[in-house]
Amino acid sequence: MSSIPTQDIGAPGKYPAFRYQRYLPKRGPSGAALFLGLLGVVSFGMYHHLESKKEWRELKREKIWSRLHLVPLLQAEQDRDTYRREEAMKAREAEIMKDVPGWEVGKSVYNTDRYVPRTVPLYIPEDK
Amino acid sequence: MSYRPGYDHLPRDNWVDPTPPPAHIQDVPNVGATSAILTSAAFALGAHCGEYNEDFMLCKRDSANPAHCLKEGARVTRCSIDLLTQLRANCLKELSSHWNCLELNNHEFQYCRKQERPLNQCIFSKFGYTKTIPGAAKNATPVHELKKPYFGNTPNTF
Repeated sequence: MSSIPTQDIGAPGKYPAFRYQRYLPKRGPSGAALFLGLLGVVSFGMYHHLESKKEWRELKREKIWSRLHLVPLLQAEQDRDTYRREEAMKAREAEIMKDVPGWEVGKSVYNTDRYVPRTVPLYIPEDK
Repeated sequence: MSYRPGYDHLPRDNWVDPTPPPAHIQDVPNVGATSAILTSAAFALGAHCGEYNEDFMLCKRDSANPAHCLKEGARVTRCSIDLLTQLRANCLKELSSHWNCLELNNHEFQYCRKQERPLNQCIFSKFGYTKTIPGAAKNATPVHELKKPYFGNTPNTF
């Protein structure tokens, strides 16, 4: 039996145009604009950050100098008190050690001419 | 001075030495001002007593012995007392408002610019001292005269 087999063939006429292009809506500013904008924001922030760092440094300088101006005043008072206490200790020592021949009152325990501050706090004996 | 580690063998309560000072430093008084007042007057002090202070520190550089610089120290103390007395006489209102502000703000200068400006103005008009911070850039505005500072805009006021 001779018959023409049915085959898949194209539609009569033309195929419709294939829609291969994407029609996406516009999505904000361009990459270059974003980059420039970011650069602007970061520059603004960095400028103020660095300026504030400068100001902070000056504030530290002001604080340090306000303390430096007071150092001699505080040191002078402290020195007078230390001197008074050391003299009193020497007097007590002389009183206690007066019977020991060859005893040098207030002799430094260190083998140097340099002044060495006390490492033990000065205090008054209980029975004094 | 209360407890100090390693000094358990020493008495903890008897730190006062009532011995009077030797005769040659007996008449030197102590300043007796609190920290806020000293901080407030620090730059005026540096201007008023700068020479005595430098003399004293140079002497301390020669020897750390407290007995070595008593004379210079007495001069420093007398000069400081002189300045504080004069400040009390001339700029008491400005000084009080500034040190009270410092007291409330952790002794930070940047919170008390509003009170500091009249004080600096008063010190300048009465004594002629300008507040200068050594080492700051010459051509820049000093940090205490900035119109719009970054720091210190929210002071504590009670």
